[in-house]
Amino acid sequence: MIGRAAGLTSNAGAALLGRLQHVRLPGVGTASAKDDPATAARRWRAVTVLAEPDRLADLPSPLAALGDRVETRVTPAPGDKGTELAARFRGPATDDDIGRLRQALREAKQLVEVGEVLRMDPRPHGERPDTPGGRLLDGAVAASRREGLL
Amino acid sequence: MRALTWTGVNRLSVEDVPEPQLLNDHDVILRVTRTTTCGSDLHLLSGYIPFMRAGDVIGHEFMGEVVEVGSGVRHRRVGDRVVVASFVSCGNCWYCRHELYSLCDNSNPNPGITEGLWGQSIGGCVGYSHAVGGYAGSHAEYVRVPFADVGSFVVPDGVPDDRALFASDAASTAFTGVDLGGVQPGDTVAVWGAGAVGQMVARISALVGAERVFVVDRLPERLEQARTHAGAETIDYSTTDVAAELRERTGGRGPDVCIEAVGMEAHSPGPQGVYDQVKQQLRLQTDRPTAVREAVMACRKSGSVFTLGVFAAMVDKFPLGAVMNKGLTLRGAQVHGPRYIPRLLEWMERGELVTEHLATHVMPLEDAPRGYELFKEKQDGCVRAVFVP
Ligand SMILES: NC(=O)c1ccc[n+]([C@@H]2O[C@H](COP(=O)([O-])OP(=O)(O)OC[C@H]3O[C@@H](n4cnc5c(N)ncnc54)[C@H](O)[C@@H]3O)[C@@H](O)[C@H]2O)c1
Ligand SMILES: [Zn+2]
Ligand SMILES: [Zn+2]
Repeated sequence: MIGRAAGLTSNAGAALLGRLQHVRLPGVGTASAKDDPATAARRWRAVTVLAEPDRLADLPSPLAALGDRVETRVTPAPGDKGTELAARFRGPATDDDIGRLRQALREAKQLVEVGEVLRMDPRPHGERPDTPGGRLLDGAVAASRREGLL
Repeated sequence: MRALTWTGVNRLSVEDVPEPQLLNDHDVILRVTRTTTCGSDLHLLSGYIPFMRAGDVIGHEFMGEVVEVGSGVRHRRVGDRVVVASFVSCGNCWYCRHELYSLCDNSNPNPGITEGLWGQSIGGCVGYSHAVGGYAGSHAEYVRVPFADVGSFVVPDGVPDDRALFASDAASTAFTGVDLGGVQPGDTVAVWGAGAVGQMVARISALVGAERVFVVDRLPERLEQARTHAGAETIDYSTTDVAAELRERTGGRGPDVCIEAVGMEAHSPGPQGVYDQVKQQLRLQTDRPTAVREAVMACRKSGSVFTLGVFAAMVDKFPLGAVMNKGLTLRGAQVHGPRYIPRLLEWMERGELVTEHLATHVMPLEDAPRGYELFKEKQDGCVRAVFVP
């Protein structure tokens, strides 16, 4: 796994994280891992926000910042779950685009639910030697707000 | 400030690191007064959770004094003596509102990692790798506590530090298993593992009305503590066929609720143990599920098996047929601290839950690498090493 790989860069870390969600073990994986990239790019990506739909009448700023290229959909969720906020690109989208969309959706949800986006840096840490494994993990961490199954 | 950092597989060091800062409105900064080793740290140290970066400050079970308060914090004041939940929870998402705090949607800033592993990401945890957020840990003079109104609790004056400390993680983890595992008055409960978590499971099961409690381990000093402090009956798995012993002692039924508090590095004496260890080292399976398998086989029909021990990903040779055919409920969880810490503190204040015996080795933070050595190797009767920064 990540700690074991050698001779890699932080870009490789991001790429590896990107691949993690496409791992195909028998019976493991997600619907989108089986989609071809064009179909996957067209899927609505959605977060469920614990709030009434009218709280999302004005798009939260991270999503609004993506502008007209993105279409959004706001629907009440079943039961007591709140409101589904979904978005996708109207036209073709690159992996980078989709990464930005994932991050925007997550941040939109956080802004509505808790009022701020979690900040992590600066944080205390000791000496971080520049090793291949370290670079790989740094890359995976840097990419992880934009990666995942969303 | 001084802090304990992970510097590589099985390597720790105490070094100078920058102090934490308030980063979000709901943060407080705590001056740490007590912080302890947890069995979960051993999985990190030995490299089984490969999302550690050299230089990471570890530690997630702790208490201290509030020294700085963010502008959005309403219920904490400078000077408060608090114990803090290990997992970070926002308090406002659907999971937090349903008291499933370790499943918080908003507290893990690196969701991409665990979504890939598990299909969904879980909440963040202090000092427990970048997979659950990469927060700096508590084995330090100061620590940042995000969403402090949700995760920190004022300790009643009558509760000493070495008791309150374990409400943070060990006892609240145990309560999570007892509660969600469905222990009812009159039940027979069996617990695998007599570490701090397993011992707390035994005691809390008794407090909620379990009639008989068995604790399974091989370390005599821990089994002795389980008998003395939790009133449990004990079974040494290194000399006894656990399932046969449980059958005999429960009228042939098996325990109603089986709670596993061992985790992915479970030890196993027989050929099955060698098989699991080899497969784990070759990365053909990530976890050794010895105790969970045994719990599934020992559990009574239609009983419940709960895994509190931490598992990372895949296991092998899992008796799914027994789960299905015996009608078992199989469940697990990371700790939902804020759901249980208030009740734990009440029990602690009334003297019904004592934990001081778990703190077998109390030492300065500078000695933390030695503390982990004792804890990992279970030397000198170490149950928990507690550091005083
Ligand atoms: N779910 C959570 O939120 C949470 C929180 C804290 C700890 N944990 C996990 O709980 C587990 C226990 O934590 P701890 O601090 O008590 O650890 P610990 O290392 O002190 O105790 C583990 C005990 O299990 C015993 N053991 C090993 N193999 C066994 C087997 N096959 N059968 C029975 N006993 C066996 C060991 O002898 C030891 O006494 C760890 O896996 C830890 O990661 C989970
Ligand atoms: Zn723990
Ligand atoms: Zn939450």
